[in-house]
Amino acid sequence: MKWIGRALREPLLHFLLIGLALFVAYDRFGPAGGDGERIVVTRSTVDELSRQFTARWLRPPTEQELSGLVDTWVREEIYYREGLVLGLDREDPVIKRRLRQKLEVMQEESLGGDAPTDAVLEGYLRRNADRFREPARVTFEQVFFSGSAPVAEVERSVAAARQALERGADPAALGQSTMLAQRLDDTPMDVVSRDFGAGFAARLAELPTGTWEGPIASAYGAHLVRVSARRSGTLPPLEQIRPAVIREWESERRREAATQAYAEMRSRYRIEIEAKP
Amino acid sequence: MKASPVTVARAVAPVIALLLLQGCGRPTPPQTAGGEKGQDVAAPKAAPTGKAGFSPYTARSYPTRVYWGDQHLHTSWSPDAVGAGTRVGPEEALRFARGEEVVSSTGIPVKLARPLDWLAVSDHSDAMGIMSEVIAGNPKLMTDPVLKRWNKQMNADAQQAYAAVLEGIALQGKGQLPTPMKDPAVALDMWHKMTTVMERYNDPGRFTAFIAYEWTSNYGGGNNLHRNVIYRDGKALADQLSPLTTFVSENPEDLWKWMQSYEQRTGGKLLAIPHNGNLSNGLMFATTTFKGDPITRDWAETRAKYEPLYEVTQGKGTSEQHPSLAPADEFARFEIWDKGNLNVVPKTPGMINTEYAREALKNGLAIEARVGANPFKFGMAGGTDNHTGLTTAEEDNFFGKFPSSEPSPERWSENAFNFEGRTVKGWELGASGYTGVWATENTREALWDAMKRKEVYSTTGPRITVRLFGGFDFQTQDARTRDLAAVGYAKGVPMGGDLNRAPAGKSPTFLVAAMKDPLSGNLDRIQIVKGWLDAKGVTREKIYDVVWSQAERRKPGKDGRLPAVGNTVDLATGTWRNTIGEPELVTVWKDPEFDPSQRAFYYARVIEIPTPRWTLLDSLRFGVKMGPEVPMTLQERAFTSPIWYSPS
Repeated sequence: MKWIGRALREPLLHFLLIGLALFVAYDRFGPAGGDGERIVVTRSTVDELSRQFTARWLRPPTEQELSGLVDTWVREEIYYREGLVLGLDREDPVIKRRLRQKLEVMQEESLGGDAPTDAVLEGYLRRNADRFREPARVTFEQVFFSGSAPVAEVERSVAAARQALERGADPAALGQSTMLAQRLDDTPMDVVSRDFGAGFAARLAELPTGTWEGPIASAYGAHLVRVSARRSGTLPPLEQIRPAVIREWESERRREAATQAYAEMRSRYRIEIEAKP
Repeated sequence: MKASPVTVARAVAPVIALLLLQGCGRPTPPQTAGGEKGQDVAAPKAAPTGKAGFSPYTARSYPTRVYWGDQHLHTSWSPDAVGAGTRVGPEEALRFARGEEVVSSTGIPVKLARPLDWLAVSDHSDAMGIMSEVIAGNPKLMTDPVLKRWNKQMNADAQQAYAAVLEGIALQGKGQLPTPMKDPAVALDMWHKMTTVMERYNDPGRFTAFIAYEWTSNYGGGNNLHRNVIYRDGKALADQLSPLTTFVSENPEDLWKWMQSYEQRTGGKLLAIPHNGNLSNGLMFATTTFKGDPITRDWAETRAKYEPLYEVTQGKGTSEQHPSLAPADEFARFEIWDKGNLNVVPKTPGMINTEYAREALKNGLAIEARVGANPFKFGMAGGTDNHTGLTTAEEDNFFGKFPSSEPSPERWSENAFNFEGRTVKGWELGASGYTGVWATENTREALWDAMKRKEVYSTTGPRITVRLFGGFDFQTQDARTRDLAAVGYAKGVPMGGDLNRAPAGKSPTFLVAAMKDPLSGNLDRIQIVKGWLDAKGVTREKIYDVVWSQAERRKPGKDGRLPAVGNTVDLATGTWRNTIGEPELVTVWKDPEFDPSQRAFYYARVIEIPTPRWTLLDSLRFGVKMGPEVPMTLQERAFTSPIWYSPS
């Protein structure tokens, strides 16, 4: 280990060590500004640049590419700082908007990214039950009479079909053929409304079950209708609709947070409007 | 595989070319059912008759319901939209499509009459979301002098903002967008945000939110080669590749390579829907490759595989057929935009021939006869292409293409487009269209599979229900059956399907039925549009009225033409009466001029009675008088996907 001893006495080494110490000290404690303002490209910045590149091209950047990305980053940073020194950020509506946007995002994120607990979601679900309630469902059959026939003819056909139904005739053999479903099973009322029209759906909701009723008018003509089953709209348990509840909860919370944060900030200012807007 | 010579050599082009080469150099993965090139996803069949449960409907495996949606909507994440003042983002766009009330970019509360079943938000992949950053003044982007200037313009007034947007469209067309807008890292980030929103709102069984984007090639300066890319997959797969931008390539062939690359890497599935051939100045359905070479079998198969649908109608005109190409078609003059391309660069003679759907379907037959595959074997889709975040296609609820065309007394007379004085007026915008999908359920997978097999159709807005089946054995009485679909699937193929090798002495027969939108006008008629390749190799077309309303008193004249249905629209009140037309029409039609040795296609066109156009409703709401050039009524319509006949 003699070479170590020799090396420790080597003036060049002393020079280097002193230089390094000075450099570290300057780096830590030296003044910023002048020709020495520091721009530090941290490991995490480099990693992020590399990650973005990889996501785009499905391979990591080469050394040369990465060095190019870092150069661009440094260039931007220098322009940015020079711009600030010149005061280019002041009274710039664009920068105002950008800062507002950033602050809004920060306020949203300050809500915390943790998933809401079941208790929170249960509470939200109960408070907003109407939004999550399943639509009422209905099972019914219909016999169709086209509205393009003369009214008197439709009335005669309806009366004849009603008598046939009372005698126990097969409803599928009565009336006229149509692209409308002859029978709909356990179908949400909003779907019935879209298929037959809102007026028809509203009438259907009031009919007794088990008997042939009508005629009810739709956009297409007249219908004799027999409702065989109904289900009122139930509120599904949380586990069945968790993603939807989380989505609505998050969406509402984002909106509320923004409103509250603004109100809170605004309360710290006294606004004087000199001219009537 | 050769690198495409027309791939524009920009900074990133060599890298993607390398990627594509790597992708194509891999061994072909084992073929899965339905995944073979040129072969459609297996079509649903009628359930075998056998022991059924109480309800005869539960055993059905074929689609019994049409799911309505828009595969073409832009939100504030599209640079041209946000620049023009759109503030409705993807989340609000989805809430609106689901039927919720939102506030438009111009501050008007708006709600759909009825919810849609699905939506594809197709924001431009080029600089997706970046224009918001330009407006917000992201310092990263403000180093660019052009972006800095746009930023000032967009924060000045609407006129200056729109000027910046038009400049952006023009520069994009020339491939000269400012460099920071092409930053792939920025684009990818926005893509991940987009897929997150779509995932949150995708609600299988209730509402489908497709992951999608628009690849916006304006090759040569405004020649519209745009495609909407629709994902069958969710975020996990979609996030693996950043959408293709036109900074990488403006050549649709490179889009297909990108799609192939995506499918090979992720195991996912994509389809692309081209639109606005009417603004492509002859390029959309050119009968050569992009470079101008003759079409090969491989090229034709690739296009047919990745582009199973075409958007035949939308806000910037309807591209079914140009009147000059079909003088005998009395309904062809419908919402026609034929002044020029997207930059209103005027057309030269001949361009019209390769821009419209029907002509392309015909040319596809000729190409197939030559090379053995049909590149233009597409079904019919509709979309709005609205840039407002609001998918409105109904005349009485039309919120325009840009915020500048949201409801106002002036929107009809203002310029919808203005490029160096070449203008398209606001009244020329159409409140159109939607896509109806015959699917087994409302999920991404079921809807996408139906699109892939072309069991879809387009309408100019109304939700007209249309069935079309083709076979050799349909009989007149099949039109009176109580269960049309059961007979249709049992004896034939649905829209989008194929008929081959007619049995001796038989002609194709079609079971076609349509039912009006309960909120719109009655139906005037159903037509079958036939295109074929005759014995001399010349493409031909003929339109047959196959069933119509008031048939007892409306008889075809000596010229074979059916008298017009009439018009009940009251111009003073903007109302109409359904005292003409029929709520439903159905028939079986047999081709009377069939030659089994000739290739052909058949699609149905369903025409409504005249109803008020949005311009009439605007003139009454705002109390303005419009010029005589502005149409006040229209006959809305549906176009089904074709059924093809091939002798081999």
